[in-house]
Amino acid sequence: MRILIGLTLIALTAHAALAQNAIVATVVDDNGKPVADAVVVAVPADGATRLPMRRDVVIDQVDKEFTPKVNAILVGTPVIFPNHDNVRHQVYSFSPAKRFELPLYAGMPAQPVMFDAPGVVVLGCNIHDWMVGYIYVSESPYFAKTGADGKAVITDLPARAYVVRVWHPQLEGGEAATKKSVDVTGKRRVELEWALKLKPEVRVRRSPIGEHNGHY
Amino acid sequence: MDAVLTPHRTRRTRGAARHRRLASSLWLSIALFLCLAAPTRAEWFYDVRAGGLYDDNLTRAQQAADVRGDGAATVGAAAGWFYAPSGADGITLTLEANSEAYARFHGLNLISIGAGAAYRHKFGLGSMAPWASVVLTAARDDYRGDIRDSERLEARLEVGKRLTEQFDVSLGVAADRRLARNDRPIVPGISGKAFDLRGQSAFARATYDITERLQVGARISVRRGDVESTTRQNLDIFLASDAIAADPTFGSDFYAYRLRGTTGSARASLSWALSDRSSFNLSYAVTRTASYDDLEYLSRIGTIVLAFRY
Repeated sequence: MRILIGLTLIALTAHAALAQNAIVATVVDDNGKPVADAVVVAVPADGATRLPMRRDVVIDQVDKEFTPKVNAILVGTPVIFPNHDNVRHQVYSFSPAKRFELPLYAGMPAQPVMFDAPGVVVLGCNIHDWMVGYIYVSESPYFAKTGADGKAVITDLPARAYVVRVWHPQLEGGEAATKKSVDVTGKRRVELEWALKLKPEVRVRRSPIGEHNGHY
Repeated sequence: MDAVLTPHRTRRTRGAARHRRLASSLWLSIALFLCLAAPTRAEWFYDVRAGGLYDDNLTRAQQAADVRGDGAATVGAAAGWFYAPSGADGITLTLEANSEAYARFHGLNLISIGAGAAYRHKFGLGSMAPWASVVLTAARDDYRGDIRDSERLEARLEVGKRLTEQFDVSLGVAADRRLARNDRPIVPGISGKAFDLRGQSAFARATYDITERLQVGARISVRRGDVESTTRQNLDIFLASDAIAADPTFGSDFYAYRLRGTTGSARASLSWALSDRSSFNLSYAVTRTASYDDLEYLSRIGTIVLAFRY
């Protein structure tokens, strides 16, 4: 009897999982190469969203770089910025979505930083000017980041219509121009594709400059 | 050398010993600090450079017959320590060694060891905040031709600002002092320290990142002070000089003269980042010196450098 109940539960769970809707996004650049670190966001077209519990997100500092460099979080998520370098960092952002500064520190900062407004937050370190990181603060819980293959999968989508858009740190033009409407009702898997025009990455150079001093 | 001719100035050498002590003190203090007292949470870095240069007027001579050009292989290594006492302040201490080996004029072959201390302050938060820095450097240069052996001191004050994420500019002033170790007068009553020099300069520099990897740079400077020019016997330069020494590096009939003059330099550079820790660099510099006695010389220097930082 117990075995029968167990098998029934497994079957129901598997059916529920298979019944979930998903958006499979493929992002390439204008040369057709896969684009990593693009954030794909699906916003319910009717605006009705039930926000899940937020858990702390960790953005690390390793070898004087933010790791991961691009992060996507849900609005209202606290972010912890541990410093795993053996030197101190001073993390800051001037972005309208979140202005903050963590005074020079090593190890764990005293408090996480709450990201309570949607938008893009650009991170920097006042000691190491080349350090740059990005946090995409999403108003929707349905988002995913592309991997090296340029693919991202947004799962657990309730059956309804969505406006799906893409953001990338080097995206030329606005995120709004990438909007696509899709209704996942009755479709387990919807495939969408974007070809983005990307700007060259601009950040303060880290590599050394060899100089020779002349004599008089 | 015609002993009847008298230079129009004699040179004061007072203070040379003090400067030499200052150079030694700076070098020793930094070495001791790095070995014994460097705080934790400081950042260590190690630089290695290798490359070459070509200087088309090593003699800094006016007359074409006296001009000598040559190429050299260059290597250098530095160990540095960076500490940020606050988010706005940074202190960098550096020990370095450099060497140049010339193809033809082996008397110019050089081994140099030096030290530097720099303090930098940022007036605000972020990479675009303006900054100011003070840099002190000291080095001991040992040439194969020992008439050039010397200690060098430089103090530099610089202010700068990143105008955009790609465009960085700075302005500065500097005072330099070269203390010749050897005094070999060849004309009675005239100093033999032709390589004992001092000067003050102002400079401006800019870099622009064309792409993530490619950076172009420019630097212009004006310096007033002592310069050294090596020529065969020459009445005009003899009258203008205040120190003279034989300079066998370029031949037994060459003499090094110390003059007062103004030097204008312009340098263009190109740097290709091979990775976050290495780069390939090219530069081309033109230097024109005009002495106060209407003597003038021009030199052009091209360099190629591979730089690594660990």
